[in-house]
Amino acid sequence: MPERLAWLLGLELFPAAVLAAYGLGLRGRPLGRLAAVCAGLLTAVSAVGLDRESFARLSIVLIPFAAFLWFLGTTVTPTTRLEDAGLARAAAACGLELAAFSTTSPIALILVWAATSALLAADHSGEHFRGARRLVVSHLGLSTILLAAGIALAACTGAGALRQTGLALVFAAVLVRKGIFPFHAWIPELFERGRIGAAARFNAPQLGAYVALVLAVPHADSWLLRSVAGLALVTAGYGALLALYQADARRACGYLFVSQSSLVIAGLEIPNRGALAGALILWVSSGIAVAGLSRAVLALEARRGRLSLDVKHGGYERMPLLAISFLVMSLAIANFPGTLGFIGGEMLARGAVDSFPALGFFAVAATALAGLAAIRMYFSLFCGKRDSGARLGLLPAERLGFAAAAVLLIGLGLAPRRLAGVLNRASSGVLEIQRTVAVR
Amino acid sequence: MNLLLLRSAILVAMAAPAVLLLLLAVPSLWSRPWSEEQAGWLTRAAFLAALGGLAVAGICFAAGPRQRILLRLGDWFSREGGFAFDLLIDGWSLAFAALAVGICGVVSSFSFRYLHREEGFHRYFVLLVSFVFGLELVALAGSVEALFAGWEILGLSSALLVAFFHDRPAPVDNALRVLTFYRIGDACMLTAAVLLHHWAGSDSLSLLFSGGVGRLAFLGSGRILLIAVLILAAAAAKSALLPFSTWLARAMEGPTPSSAVYYGALSVHAGCFLLLRAEVLLRSSAAACVLTAGVGLATAAYAAVVGRAQSDAKSRLCFASLTQVGIIVVEIALGWEVLAFIHMTGNICLRLLQFLSAPNILHDLRQLENDRGARLQASEEPAGPFARAIYLFALERGFLDGLIELWVERPLTRLVAGMDSLDRRLYRLPLALLGGGDEDA
Repeated sequence: MPERLAWLLGLELFPAAVLAAYGLGLRGRPLGRLAAVCAGLLTAVSAVGLDRESFARLSIVLIPFAAFLWFLGTTVTPTTRLEDAGLARAAAACGLELAAFSTTSPIALILVWAATSALLAADHSGEHFRGARRLVVSHLGLSTILLAAGIALAACTGAGALRQTGLALVFAAVLVRKGIFPFHAWIPELFERGRIGAAARFNAPQLGAYVALVLAVPHADSWLLRSVAGLALVTAGYGALLALYQADARRACGYLFVSQSSLVIAGLEIPNRGALAGALILWVSSGIAVAGLSRAVLALEARRGRLSLDVKHGGYERMPLLAISFLVMSLAIANFPGTLGFIGGEMLARGAVDSFPALGFFAVAATALAGLAAIRMYFSLFCGKRDSGARLGLLPAERLGFAAAAVLLIGLGLAPRRLAGVLNRASSGVLEIQRTVAVR
Repeated sequence: MNLLLLRSAILVAMAAPAVLLLLLAVPSLWSRPWSEEQAGWLTRAAFLAALGGLAVAGICFAAGPRQRILLRLGDWFSREGGFAFDLLIDGWSLAFAALAVGICGVVSSFSFRYLHREEGFHRYFVLLVSFVFGLELVALAGSVEALFAGWEILGLSSALLVAFFHDRPAPVDNALRVLTFYRIGDACMLTAAVLLHHWAGSDSLSLLFSGGVGRLAFLGSGRILLIAVLILAAAAAKSALLPFSTWLARAMEGPTPSSAVYYGALSVHAGCFLLLRAEVLLRSSAAACVLTAGVGLATAAYAAVVGRAQSDAKSRLCFASLTQVGIIVVEIALGWEVLAFIHMTGNICLRLLQFLSAPNILHDLRQLENDRGARLQASEEPAGPFARAIYLFALERGFLDGLIELWVERPLTRLVAGMDSLDRRLYRLPLALLGGGDEDA
């Protein structure tokens, strides 16, 4: 497919299709919902034709990834939890993310950063979500200020300590947005007290990781990269351990997000092609897996109410597809062989050991704990006494969405050659930029 | 020609359970499972194909120069490198793979009757077939990735079968505990793999599994010992060697045929097979040999004592099997590989037979009493403080559960509870920085 046409389809048609779908009336009207799903799929397919320099190579992967998250969200969100305005905000957020993943302009990234934060705050309007809204506004407000200040400082000062301070501020913004120690605590709170669907939609694409990779990683000193990698790894282990302890399913999802996205950030800071490519693969894998888990929790909550992990809820027999999809997503988090997580996790651990040994072992331990936490969730949510409730089965759209997520994780895990090739070249490009900056 | 035939036969043996897995799993997920009879025919056909493939491979291997062959099936994901997917073909690997497929074939035949009209019938067979696939991978693995994949599949299928009767809470809780121990072993194996790659620059297990002791000398004694300890820990977790023995009795919650094939026969011996393959590593480090022998000896003594006080047939049998596993580990540490393999094969077959006949135990005892014309005598109460102490030790399975709870679970839970409580306050930090408060807290 010619490159221009791919860009046109991916970036121009997506908002148009979503707007058309919105016009047709998304909620409760199959045609509108179908159009919205098709828009996501079209974007995913169109991005296959993209190929440019190193960061654009990332776009080849990140654009279909963001589009798939949109597809997942629109197909599996229970109708009772859908509202036109919320879905329009989700479409707008997805369109903004698609735009962000296709640019390296700092100004554009700041704007998208602020706009997606505002959309998340708008998702939590109403008295019921007052606490969650304050949480979002305070954290994401702080992170936007830090990002703008960091970019301004780094751009105004050519090189030296001040530039590194600017980059440190950019990293601080990323730490806040992605929930890395010591700013990690708001993510589980948001999952618990806010809208879990909106929280998953905001966190899964990992815009923070993209901003770090594009704006800060190639220009930062090694001490700064190592400090961020260290913090991220501590968070990965910490988050996984706390996910294992939680009694609330939403909070456990929040900690899993924290743990997995910290692993991605840790990998991005390692100046090694394998580790960097591993982190990029993990980015896609963990994004799909944890978003899928959160969406599954939402689907179950729509049928059973708030879910405690101290109770065995049962229901495997009524929803085997959801149970197995949930298990596959848990296994992807555990980096189980045959899933995409295995490819990313192993590459990350190997690359990390080559240049930062302690980091590699920490990554292995964090992954083992996160996997256990996810499988504990599976046991709690699908095993136990038979559920006698009526209408527990999945709707066809939900079946499609969850099955697609599971098939994607396994399919890419068994045949990851194209994805790994693209991300290997992208990581080489990032390292090349780093080397050029270091020579200057 | 011979090599081509060998390669094709091995691929058939590997592909048969994988295809069966897909055939059984996919229709079940869409609520359109095969009938029991259809599933039975499919399973028989797949097991026969796998066994036939291994038999042809064995004939090809025996007809050739009988040297180890590394079959390169290509790199997993990258032309420039990535994870090598190699199979290592020799007498050990073919024999263990054939034994595994044969035993699982027997158990699947038994299970068709045992689980007739059971609700989880298809789930059981999906897990059993995935176990066979995993075991074939472990037996034939020639690269770290292939071995790790097989190892993980064994662990997962085992844990999910422990939770087979998932409408009761105890099997599910025990499955999670079993999985926790497996994950510790898996993490050790992955760390060993990463270290091997880092220090030796190779993922090929032929480095560990073949050649002379001198091949590993370039690593240095400290590194060899570290990799050997990690491999021993992985084997210990899978084979329930000390200090990981506590999960074994908890794993008896699954259906009897799965207990037979996992904890009586094959899975519990997978660690022994790993040590048997990695004997070059053990030979390269005297400390690793002593440590392995010590672990094996301690496990044998522990299981022999504990097994005698168990009150149910399956627990007694699993500890009897574990006693022999401990002795097999000692044999491997002493370098008696052939004896260890024969011992392992014998123990697998004997325990399988005993496990499968365990549901008949009351009937058999009554038959025995009828034949003798007298009641069987109950064992005597232990007399004296020492005997009572040993009895209590055995009854409480060496207090391992209590010790783990006291030294690991409780402190860890306290620590994590503290961290959780801290987190529930920490999120207010940016609110405070911005000069606000959290009214909802």
